Amino acid sequence: MLLGLSLDGGREEEGRRVEVEEEEAPQNEPRRLGIVWEGERESSLPTHTSTINNAEIAHFSKLSSQWWDEQGEFSFLHKMNPVRVQFIREKLLQAAYEDGVIPEDTPSTHNPLRRLDVLDVGCGGGLLSESLARLGAHTLGIDASLSNIRIAQMHASADPKLRSTLTYFHTPAETLLTADPKRYDVVCSMEVLEHVDNPATFLTTCAQLVKPGGHLFLSTISRTPLAYLLTIVMAEQVLRKVSPNTHTYSKFIKPSELIDFFKAYRSPIDENSEALSRPWINPNLEYPTRVEAEVRGLIYNPLQARWVLAPRDAFGATECNYLFWVRKPNNP
Amino acid sequence: MSLLSPTSLRVATAPIRRIARFNSTISYSSGYEDYDIVVVGGGPVGLAFASALSSSSLVRQNLRVALVEAGDLDKVRNWSMPSDSYSNRVSSLTNASQAFLREIGAWRFVDTKRTCSVEQMQIWDGISNARITFDATDMGLPEVRHGMAHLIENLNLQRALLHSLSESGGIELLDKTKVSTIIRDAEDQGGWPVVHLNDYRALRSRLLVGADGFNSPVRSYANIDSYGWSYDTQGVVATLFHPPRGAFQGPNTTAYQRFLPTGPIAFLPLSPTTSSLVWSTRPHIARALLASEPAVIASMVNAAFRLPEVSIRYLHDCIVSAHASGEPLTHSELTDEIHWREQSHGIDPHSAYASAIVNILNLEAVPPEDAESVPPLVTSLQPGTVASFPLRYNHTDSYIGEGAGSRTVLIGDAAHTIHPLAGQGLNLGLADVETLAKCINNTLKLGGDIGSYTALLPYAQERYLSNHILLSTVDKLHKIYSTDFDPVVWARTVGVEVLNELDILKGTMMAAAGAQVPIYPQSNWNGIAKGFETIMTTSHTVKYIAEKVSNILASRLQGLVKSPTAKKGNST
Repeated sequence: MLLGLSLDGGREEEGRRVEVEEEEAPQNEPRRLGIVWEGERESSLPTHTSTINNAEIAHFSKLSSQWWDEQGEFSFLHKMNPVRVQFIREKLLQAAYEDGVIPEDTPSTHNPLRRLDVLDVGCGGGLLSESLARLGAHTLGIDASLSNIRIAQMHASADPKLRSTLTYFHTPAETLLTADPKRYDVVCSMEVLEHVDNPATFLTTCAQLVKPGGHLFLSTISRTPLAYLLTIVMAEQVLRKVSPNTHTYSKFIKPSELIDFFKAYRSPIDENSEALSRPWINPNLEYPTRVEAEVRGLIYNPLQARWVLAPRDAFGATECNYLFWVRKPNNP
Repeated sequence: MSLLSPTSLRVATAPIRRIARFNSTISYSSGYEDYDIVVVGGGPVGLAFASALSSSSLVRQNLRVALVEAGDLDKVRNWSMPSDSYSNRVSSLTNASQAFLREIGAWRFVDTKRTCSVEQMQIWDGISNARITFDATDMGLPEVRHGMAHLIENLNLQRALLHSLSESGGIELLDKTKVSTIIRDAEDQGGWPVVHLNDYRALRSRLLVGADGFNSPVRSYANIDSYGWSYDTQGVVATLFHPPRGAFQGPNTTAYQRFLPTGPIAFLPLSPTTSSLVWSTRPHIARALLASEPAVIASMVNAAFRLPEVSIRYLHDCIVSAHASGEPLTHSELTDEIHWREQSHGIDPHSAYASAIVNILNLEAVPPEDAESVPPLVTSLQPGTVASFPLRYNHTDSYIGEGAGSRTVLIGDAAHTIHPLAGQGLNLGLADVETLAKCINNTLKLGGDIGSYTALLPYAQERYLSNHILLSTVDKLHKIYSTDFDPVVWARTVGVEVLNELDILKGTMMAAAGAQVPIYPQSNWNGIAKGFETIMTTSHTVKYIAEKVSNILASRLQGLVKSPTAKKGNST
């Protein structure tokens, strides 16, 4: 229905039920309208498991009930979320200026997300998806863990602001790519890359889900001694703020590796031809230009208990958590 | 979590939908109306918060906001008084508070003719007479013309806020409406607070703001504990009339406060011939005062600013015992008593400290030398303005509700009540309002959920500690000045005299108390330069302070050695 995917029985029944409700009581907007209940069984869809790590999925499924405990396991992510949105806003606003979509004198309060199609890959409990949907983006959150999706749906269903703009779906990104032709203005995948098995395949999938001229946002952790100290030794072992084994050091990815990937990566111009675009980042330049890509450090200030977006090119800022933005070329 | 299994989800949603069918006149299945913010309480702080919200276009475009108030706001909106009379509830607005009210566009609606700029403050010790003087010109402010604070009738401010609200719109004002109960929505509906009103409406609220004063129902719902106590003290207020200051004196723009062991008495100027009284005193004295005829209260006020403490204590005893006997002290009895006391203290009848005979002074005459160290002589009280209220110290454990009380936040007196001696109660509330409104705007800009703990945390982080410091400072001041225990009197006297000599420190204190409009450094470099400058001047300052302190200590130590002999002479 919504995504053109094969539906199982439970879904069909749910969809029909919503329609009946609308007919019977047109004034009674059902609380869960617009939020699609999906997947009654873990393996409801054929899964391309090339990047999914089952141990990781099991780990997060176990923690899923804690997603919205703002002072618990995921408190760091809750606090990080506004900074992620700030970065996404800033980059989209800048791109809109550069494309001439909005005039130069547009105030910084302008909301560039309104009515964009946004995909949040690995949405977890929906922390980022909810924020983007509240800003008016038509947001689809997907996650490979059914329990995450359930938590996300249940949480969003309480919020009347999200009824028309937010949808969740239980699927891996690879399945969505092959099963649904829809592509997105913005694809986000926050704190996911360090949990997947085959990052290159995962990045390719995400990149293919982006419309030409669209944006890909990632956030992850760099593979440095500092990152090891902060995310594994401190957060997991000493302070116990994060469950042990949440992070695996060898899966961390350096910003330079992401840049190198997109210096080599060319996306298919259309799904049916062999033709490829130019690389997303110009391989002849040492650093990406500001219209191609950007890496920004995310720094936690324990005194204020607050994350801050480090200034561009701040020394050492990308040694641990960082945000990455890259734009898909508009034309060959 | 068994709740989340597919079957129980169905079970949980089904009954709610069934209810909806029988309840078809109301827009949502549960019968609740969805709001983003519900503010409970339409006092100055609640209205200022609503006003701050309505001044933001982001809020007006995105949020549905209601303010619930039990009283009739039309009465406040249409409030007016003849220009020569004043309401008895007056607050001091610091320049910081005023700047905020300008920023949200509410100050334009204030009737500034009814406000009074405070150019000077004189505060002295009821026992030792150690005096500290704050002067707007001492502070080196760029805005000296504003004085250090403005005195304003609460109703003047509330009326301005209401007019500002109707101009910018976007806020639903539900007045003459009581909150009957607040309950938590079902867990699977997010557990949002639902405010049930006495007109049977039920507002399901993303964020519930408690601006509902000391006995805050929102605080009880949120289950936030608080720490505090009642002072054994009542605040007596009244509007005072007096002749204007003479041609050779400054205008009536000085606020006076004398710390008596029973509590501070304050004289706050409103106009050349009108001022406001805030007299904190023991409950039995307050009761006797309230039962006295107005002329007696006026004479008691005059005496309280002038006579030595030992005589004031005697006068207190007089009115209390007269009140207890059922035959209140008459004005002539009191005047005779004051007259006799003045003579025995050797107070020159022409001195400003003489109050027994209130003769309308010749305004052209040269006033006594000490005329400006006490307030003008009160001649009468505005009828119907004498009132009293209990004073208390209270600070909640948290400003943000958690767990079952989540999506709630407290501002103003609901979060903290403070002794009025520093005139900071409303200013703290307005600072809360400013921070919370900014916090909400930032969250909206980033798509956050304004009711979430994470979104509200910066508000608590910014306000809790600074409120706590001021609350406890004022509390300590009250306690230090409530004693006549010699060493404490000595220490506080030295402290105040040292402070009075240090203009730099006074300037800093006033800035901290909000007299100065905060100026944020333009850039980091500016800040660094400022810091360097400070270090360079600090060494001079230390030398200067050391000199002053040693002088005062030396003279006070001499005084302490002499005092036992002097005391003996006094008490006989």
